[in-house]
Amino acid sequence: MLFNSYSFVLFIAIVVGLHYMQLPWKLKKINLLLASYLFYAVWNPPFVLLLWASTALDFFVGRKLYVTRKRHQRKVLLALSLALNLGMLAFFKYGNFLLQNFVTLVSWLGFDYQPAAPDIILPVGISFYTFQTLSYTLDMYRRRSRPETSLLDFSLFVTFFPQLVAGPIVRPTELLPQFKTPRQANAAQFTKGLLLLSLGLFMKVVLADALLSGAADTVFNAQQSVAMIDAWLGVLAFSGQIFFDFAGYSTCAIGVAACLGFHLPENFRYPYAASGFSDFWRRWHITLSSWLKDYLYIALGGNRKTEGRTYINLMITMLLGGLWHGASWTFVVWGALHGSFLVLERIIRKMQRQPAITKEMNAGEAVVARASLLPAFVYGKRFRLVFSMLLTFFLVNITWVFFRAADFATAGRMLASMFGITENGIAVLPTIDMIKVAVVTVLLVATHWAMRNSSVSEVVAKARWWKVGIGWALMLILIVLSQKSSDSFIYFQF
Amino acid sequence: MQPTKTVKAGVLALVLTLLFIAAWELFWRSKGFLPTYNDDRALWAAERKEALQPARDATVFIGSSRIKFDLDIPEWERKTGEDAVQLSLVGTSPLLLLQDLGNDTAFRGKLVVDVTEVLFYGQNPAFHLSANEAVSYYQKQTPSEKLSDQLGFALEANLAFLEERRFSLNTLLESLALPNRPGVMALPVFPKGFEWTTGDRQTYMADMFLQSKEDIAFQTNVWKMLLMGDPTPPVEGEVLAKIFQEIKTATDKIKARGGRVIFVRTPSSGPLYEFEAAKYPREKYWDGMLRSTQNEGIHFADNQTTGGMICPEWSHLSRTDATIYTRELIAELRKKDWFSSSITIP
Repeated sequence: MLFNSYSFVLFIAIVVGLHYMQLPWKLKKINLLLASYLFYAVWNPPFVLLLWASTALDFFVGRKLYVTRKRHQRKVLLALSLALNLGMLAFFKYGNFLLQNFVTLVSWLGFDYQPAAPDIILPVGISFYTFQTLSYTLDMYRRRSRPETSLLDFSLFVTFFPQLVAGPIVRPTELLPQFKTPRQANAAQFTKGLLLLSLGLFMKVVLADALLSGAADTVFNAQQSVAMIDAWLGVLAFSGQIFFDFAGYSTCAIGVAACLGFHLPENFRYPYAASGFSDFWRRWHITLSSWLKDYLYIALGGNRKTEGRTYINLMITMLLGGLWHGASWTFVVWGALHGSFLVLERIIRKMQRQPAITKEMNAGEAVVARASLLPAFVYGKRFRLVFSMLLTFFLVNITWVFFRAADFATAGRMLASMFGITENGIAVLPTIDMIKVAVVTVLLVATHWAMRNSSVSEVVAKARWWKVGIGWALMLILIVLSQKSSDSFIYFQF
Repeated sequence: MQPTKTVKAGVLALVLTLLFIAAWELFWRSKGFLPTYNDDRALWAAERKEALQPARDATVFIGSSRIKFDLDIPEWERKTGEDAVQLSLVGTSPLLLLQDLGNDTAFRGKLVVDVTEVLFYGQNPAFHLSANEAVSYYQKQTPSEKLSDQLGFALEANLAFLEERRFSLNTLLESLALPNRPGVMALPVFPKGFEWTTGDRQTYMADMFLQSKEDIAFQTNVWKMLLMGDPTPPVEGEVLAKIFQEIKTATDKIKARGGRVIFVRTPSSGPLYEFEAAKYPREKYWDGMLRSTQNEGIHFADNQTTGGMICPEWSHLSRTDATIYTRELIAELRKKDWFSSSITIP
């Protein structure tokens, strides 16, 4: 079920109505669990079986993992859980991809193998809930927390509908304790939840779908090279679309959970104001990047070994992070680019910590040396921040080309257009689309810059109540005006 | 956040939003707009189900926009006592729809296929986009989407401003009609009174359109650009033979299951009809298609009444003329024993 659908309005009204009735907490949790299964089943009913399988597997294996003392037995249990969880993910998400690559490989070796095309439907949100349950299993293996004793609470942890299909990816320690005591939002929390839900829908329906998706689709679906300005506007449109689409979903999820009295972690913190790639990943899809850091990067050794090994760990983490997003080599390249930028940034930072200019000279000599190369303002903190932010935004946009392009031919064509390598690129964007992309992009970057050390809650807390009310009304009016131009969330396919 | 602050802000937002919705609705109603339905894939999918399980005997119609304007469904149902299931899609070739019904073994009914040559034989992939999208949506529709669509229909039936092609944010922005760079192809926004759609997918031109010379002139210019401005030559030879073969395969499948198929050519007039007749000569593209695919057909020019009909904007009939055309079409179909009952209802 989509947040941006009439059926969700009806659904959430009933769920909230039941949640605020005078009923025992256990009954309310059953209500939330059934609602979560319904939320998932109305997309494709049989796939609820996958949720049940995942829940049962990790509940029982997790408990066994925690209590078993024998090392060998624990490793077998962990392997079983990983094999089944990742096996499901591999079959549904990577089955086609693996087969295609196998066919390419055998054909390269000279064999003619043409298998029937498999018709595998990707269960929506499988990457999200697989990672969520995996975190529980891995925590049990490492004995980071105690096993959950209530199957009802654990089922709700796996299935909690606000974040089930597209995150935020929640850790067991963040969500499971919230099911232990009755939860209801007071009037202020409830309206704050509604405000976040409205903001999330505004980002998705108005900004991502109504204003940006058309331009991104036109440019990336063009069958020939486009003009340089069109290529850049197409990439900027996608850059905005993917942020508003995904951050919009997370904001809706946090808002809906808040209406029910639950707290979900922040997933985006104004990423286009990031002053580097490590900063970007502290601001973009925070719950995935922290998952990858805790369960993959650190497990690989993190930065505890040699510098070279740290770079390899970073690259492995980002390559797998890329593949998590989609079963295609273009996503792997996207991950590789992010990994490379992270490595490069780390090298530069390391060099900056031992600056030759101050090592060999006294302060006066250093000033003279700098001034002879660049004007003094270049060394200003603010200038460096703005420069690194703009450079990061520029490079992130380059990486989005591989994320959005259907294949390498399209990505190559786009990059050639963007950097003026292609001549005679055609103009494809109508003037109104160019204006929409330009205005939204400038506002997006300016907002991220202004909010880089702040939050919606802080801004609302400082503003006059009537100003908040007018802003909120404007968002709702634009949602109503956008009408049906909205579609499903991009991250559902991941 | 202070507790009362968000509550006060929320109440203000709700009041302002409701006031805006009421004002927006009243504004458009005061301009003569009435609630109509979005002629989108959701409405199409709901109607597609009717092709398999109509409440009574039914004829399914596929084609482009002309049969949507020219078939008056209330008149059809009153005169025949049977349902009309309208599955045509504007600006779209019905070939994919024909293949969809041909491949659907559950479909064993009566089918009328309307031919607008420019779209029917056109090779532009854009002419198949809506059909692809509609069929795919119907086949993959989730329970959640079905529920949302039903709730959407209930709202659209009561609120005039919920017509996306007239009042959505993007349509309003596109109405600014800013000049584009040379070579950029942008579809024009049609006059607001041109396409009004009912719940059973009949489309008609509102009086505000028919009474506006500027709007009619604008629309004929649109046809000049979209239909008459296509520089590509008409399909010939192997490509044409392949299209005929695809038609025959699909219609044979329907007939083999006990269904019936007939082709119709609905009226066009003025320079557009002259253009169509010249680019797609009747002998080759109408008579030739019927002969090659072994199907029957009803051409508007063969009927004394419909042969002289004038389309206000060259391509579609007004609602009054649609009623007359529908009666004549029923009469022609009766001659071919199309209806189970032979009783003529006056």
